[in-house]
Amino acid sequence: MLNLRNLRVTIDDYEIINIDELTLQAGSRLGLVGESGSGKTMTAKAIAGLLPNEAKVSGEVNFDGQNLLTLGDRELAKVRGKRIGFVFQDPARSLNPMMRISKQVSEAIRIHTDLKGKAVTAKVTDLLRQVQLPEPETLLRRYPHQLSGGQQQRVMIAAAIAADPDLLIADEPTTALDVTVQEEILRLLISLSEQRKMSLLFVSHDLGVVRFVCNQVAVIYGGNIVEAGDIDSIINRPQHRYTAALLAANPGMPKDDNFSAFIGRRLQTITGSVPAVGRFPSGCRFRNRCQHASDKCATTPSVTASSPEHRYLCWHPAQGGQS
Amino acid sequence: MTLSSTPLVSVEQMYFHYPRAKISPGGSGWTLHDISLSIDLKSTVGIVGESGSGKSTLIRVMCGLLRHQQGTVRFNGKDISEYQGDGANELRRQNQIVFQNPRRSLDPRMTIRRSLTEPIRALQDRTPDDDELITSIKRVGLGPEVLSRFPHQLSGGQLQRVGIARSLSVNPTILYADEPVSALDVSVQAQVLNLLMDLRDQMGLTLVMVSHDLGVVSRMCEHIIVMRHGRIVEAGRTSDVLSRPSSEYTATLLKAARAASLERS
Amino acid sequence: MPDQSKELTQDTSIATKPSLGKRLRRLPITLYLGGALVTTFVAVAMISFVWTPYPPNKLNLTNRLASPGTAGFFLGTDRAGRDVVTELMLGARNSLYVSVVSTVVAMFLGSIIGLSIAGSRRVLQGPFTRLVDAGLALPGILTALVLAAKLGPGNTTATLAIITWQVPVAARVTIGPARQILALDYVEAAYGYGRTKAYVLRRHVLPNISPLLIVLGSVMFAAAILIEAALAFLSVGVQPPTSSWGRFLNETQSLLEAAPYLMFFPGVAIVLTALGFNLLGDGLRTVLDPQQARTGVA
Repeated sequence: MLNLRNLRVTIDDYEIINIDELTLQAGSRLGLVGESGSGKTMTAKAIAGLLPNEAKVSGEVNFDGQNLLTLGDRELAKVRGKRIGFVFQDPARSLNPMMRISKQVSEAIRIHTDLKGKAVTAKVTDLLRQVQLPEPETLLRRYPHQLSGGQQQRVMIAAAIAADPDLLIADEPTTALDVTVQEEILRLLISLSEQRKMSLLFVSHDLGVVRFVCNQVAVIYGGNIVEAGDIDSIINRPQHRYTAALLAANPGMPKDDNFSAFIGRRLQTITGSVPAVGRFPSGCRFRNRCQHASDKCATTPSVTASSPEHRYLCWHPAQGGQS
Repeated sequence: MTLSSTPLVSVEQMYFHYPRAKISPGGSGWTLHDISLSIDLKSTVGIVGESGSGKSTLIRVMCGLLRHQQGTVRFNGKDISEYQGDGANELRRQNQIVFQNPRRSLDPRMTIRRSLTEPIRALQDRTPDDDELITSIKRVGLGPEVLSRFPHQLSGGQLQRVGIARSLSVNPTILYADEPVSALDVSVQAQVLNLLMDLRDQMGLTLVMVSHDLGVVSRMCEHIIVMRHGRIVEAGRTSDVLSRPSSEYTATLLKAARAASLERS
Repeated sequence: MPDQSKELTQDTSIATKPSLGKRLRRLPITLYLGGALVTTFVAVAMISFVWTPYPPNKLNLTNRLASPGTAGFFLGTDRAGRDVVTELMLGARNSLYVSVVSTVVAMFLGSIIGLSIAGSRRVLQGPFTRLVDAGLALPGILTALVLAAKLGPGNTTATLAIITWQVPVAARVTIGPARQILALDYVEAAYGYGRTKAYVLRRHVLPNISPLLIVLGSVMFAAAILIEAALAFLSVGVQPPTSSWGRFLNETQSLLEAAPYLMFFPGVAIVLTALGFNLLGDGLRTVLDPQQARTGVA
């Protein structure tokens, strides 16, 4: 239902994104995982058509058969909101502090449906209920600052699904939230996705969160998708060295309450840091930081599939396999 | 000199509210309620809680940046309000903080060199020479070329290392770290956490780390304090508290943390 | 202990400083334009002390209101036969003196007041800010007139009037940003190693609001030039025989029929000087910002 092909984004002559292929099936939940500077937010923006003016884009962003990149502003605006919904990271910043909740949620409804007046209010109340906000009728007249962070994020989600989109793009939706609230919001996203058969593109730096929410994952580094496929396969048997390193660096929680063995154990780090835009090496972008790199890595690895649901780009994969 | 039985820091029935807070008879308005705890020399303690739990406020009171209204806070056996004059400087020197967001904790208009020399200039009345600074900066894994740079020219991870170097430059006894890695990427987090562990061992530091991330705390800290709404909910050895939490809140935190974490063996 | 040196050598992705020539070329154009304008006027004012085409106030009653280009008078003469160029040069002296002195004093006093208020105890901040607001509400021209009545017209009066007018502006503008900086982590860190509030205000707050102050200063310079001209125009500032652009402009008012072009000369001089200060301030602000003075690829 969403398919990226040969997507290239350049800003100021630097190639920010270079994705040969990425697919999200209808009803699926795909996590796009990367650190800062990986290009994950830029990819989400490219899909949404919200890239800065200086950006030059080429390739295809196929949404239900239509290449979004070929659409003009007005047609794109119709797609946004109606067929694709967005949830951003910091609800405090994405909600207009001067607008009441009901107005913010109803905007999408007004633009994309023919409902008017009382019908709109009824729909908004229903949406607030669907995102599990207590006493929705009272909330309608409140302002964002009167709500907690978790409640604000639920409002954002309500606004995003208001016009019943087929795809929801969420960019780090729980990063600014407490851990208990995070769990609730993540469960909400999962249930909404299942109930409405709505696909979810979940952009995050946190593999743990992505494992909880998504059934597919794509790891992005230096604007390239280095590994993609089924979430369990990738987390349990990572092939690309960056994915493996990312997993190893994650503090995680000990299995079976075995905390005493956990304490004091150093984390595995990735040497160096993400290079600035334009300073990535040729060939495999990770090779300067990879313990297993060889001369071969100066040429860009081709796609290898260890199974139909698990593709990666690495000459020296972690689990073995062809190189 | 501390006797082995006297904790380095001890807090008894401490209450704190921010200056303009309205205190109601019912007790609301206080940011910290009835805090009692103790920290032993060379131990590593994690303070966990969600937003509004008061954990960041607690460490600021403990190191003397904020003044509590009720109760006692003792450092090295002595009430911190009794550290006056030169003693106040000594208290400051022994208690240092590393802040969460390195871009906000370094003056953007000062070079790294200047920022690094500030604590020594303020507390020891002398200006360290470049050799001393280079030792300091190498200890946190950075090279001497960062000295002439400005904060905006360094990455988040590099800046956080500078922040750590700055606090350690005066050889403190206890280092408070307020969410030291929350603003950093996972791979950089790992580097900085390892660095903190190494430095703690090298310098014999007592480390008190505030974090919302149970995973990080369970890696670094033998002891844990769980806070909620300005009160201590539970405290003890990390392995005990987290494998057999006695409070329902701790259990809820754990469950939520596990849900969104990778299971590691 | 695991080897950290690999992390050491890798962690050097820092920009390098380009050559001096490159940096000069990267300087903002506003700096050059503004600098050029201001330097020109300052130079003109300075030169006027040593040389003017005609002696100050030399009246050429036979050549009154000569049009520009008349022999010996590059821009013509005014109603009393004084050479326009000479008048402009002498006027520059005046305008620059008054605006520089008043702006420097007003900025100095205003920022000290603003910083002190920002650093004072919360309870006191409200009332003090209101006091400053009261100062802002004082009508400037009225103050000038009152001062003129008590002290007589002249440069000193004009300078004092402008200072009284501008100090509350400078103070008011500094309070907000100063308070914001005081709430930042690096200020807290400074307290953490024993710095006093006064030190923090001087060494952390002031440098970090300096871009604001530079812009403020340049705007105030420009405003001062205009106010000085206005006061002279109203005969509150300098009196003849001292030359002033404002006074000159005043005179041209009544000459709209006889010599309508005359008002452009002092007018343009005033506008260009004000513009020059504005541009210079903008350029300085950009240059002094460590983040904007780009030193290579980020």
